[in-house]
Amino acid sequence: MDNKELELQKIRADLKEMIVRDLSLEDIEPGDIKDDEILFGEGLGLDSLDAVELVVLLQRNFGLEVKNMDQGKEIFYSINTIANYVYDNKAA
Amino acid sequence: MSQNKDVERKRGNRLGFWFFRSALRSFGLRGAYGLLYFVGLYYLIVDRPVVAASLAYLRRRFPEHGTPRQLFDTYRLFVSQGKSLIDRYAVAAGYRGIEVEIRGFDRLSGLLAARDKGFILLTAHVGNWQVAMTALRKFGRTVCLMMRPEDNDAVRDALNIYQAGEEVKIIYTDDSLGGVIEAMRAVNQGSLVSIMGDRTYEFSATEATFLGEEVRFPYGAFSLAAALNCPVVVLLSAKVGVKKYLVDVSHVIAAPPNVRGNRDQEMKDAIQEFAGILEGYVREHPLQWFVFRDVWKSNK
Repeated sequence: MDNKELELQKIRADLKEMIVRDLSLEDIEPGDIKDDEILFGEGLGLDSLDAVELVVLLQRNFGLEVKNMDQGKEIFYSINTIANYVYDNKAA
Repeated sequence: MSQNKDVERKRGNRLGFWFFRSALRSFGLRGAYGLLYFVGLYYLIVDRPVVAASLAYLRRRFPEHGTPRQLFDTYRLFVSQGKSLIDRYAVAAGYRGIEVEIRGFDRLSGLLAARDKGFILLTAHVGNWQVAMTALRKFGRTVCLMMRPEDNDAVRDALNIYQAGEEVKIIYTDDSLGGVIEAMRAVNQGSLVSIMGDRTYEFSATEATFLGEEVRFPYGAFSLAAALNCPVVVLLSAKVGVKKYLVDVSHVIAAPPNVRGNRDQEMKDAIQEFAGILEGYVREHPLQWFVFRDVWKSNK
């Protein structure tokens, strides 16, 4: 496994921990969240308040901002998409 | 159509708005108001779901009134709402004869001068929001309205809801992210984001005491404020004369510390403070509570 994939793996694991903790997801362990699971609407079933939490999570933990709704929908699609966004923008 | 949706159906259709628009042009403001006494009677007789919803409020606001008096109060409420709708149309059409006094203008101006970021405006279906929006222009900041697409075409068209210019923008809440990213960005850029606080629309909510009984109020506005570390300014308007409105921005509620607050006492306290402000409003302006549903039964 190369360095990029190792780092992405760590980012995904950290994101799952943060999401379960900050969004107060009861009865869900970080390991229960699949990397490609849809986060909003179906899948994990997050709502708009969770979106607020995720925006704050990105800002506080990674110093990243979300520019607009379209970008937000792309970023917050799944754990994979959030992790890729974090990796790409931290490396930039 | 479910009963709730029926009750909530905006009591306006294209014919109705054409009628009031014509009356306004032909007879002026007072003349158009005069027609409301007949229109109010019509709705009192035929619109049973709305009468029932109105009585749910009026029985709690005026518990000392007997049924005949409460029915008369309902009629007066309908006439009052009709006047607000006529005024709203008149303002949207450019009528300049309505005087607006802003309570809390200096405090809010000071709050804005001290920060580049904006804040959250929490409002309710009372008074006249069109007049309130017009008043907000005096603060020189862009106002963003968070709303669901209007489901009554005639109301939307008549009120120019979608013809927002540079000073007023619309943020739709019907996508999966609820418009929150746009709202947060708007506040960070210095805008004022207006959110309706008297109906949950199935968003996260918590109970507060309103007119003696528990009602579920949404706390999304406070969650946004917590995330943005900005205050929540309560925006309410009331008709206080034939051609005069009072816009009240004097109540400022501090943001609770946490976004996810349905179990936090600070969030409950903030919601209760808002409910208390609304109760103060209906004590002062009992016939301008235009929330035509039984919020004690269900506030979705």
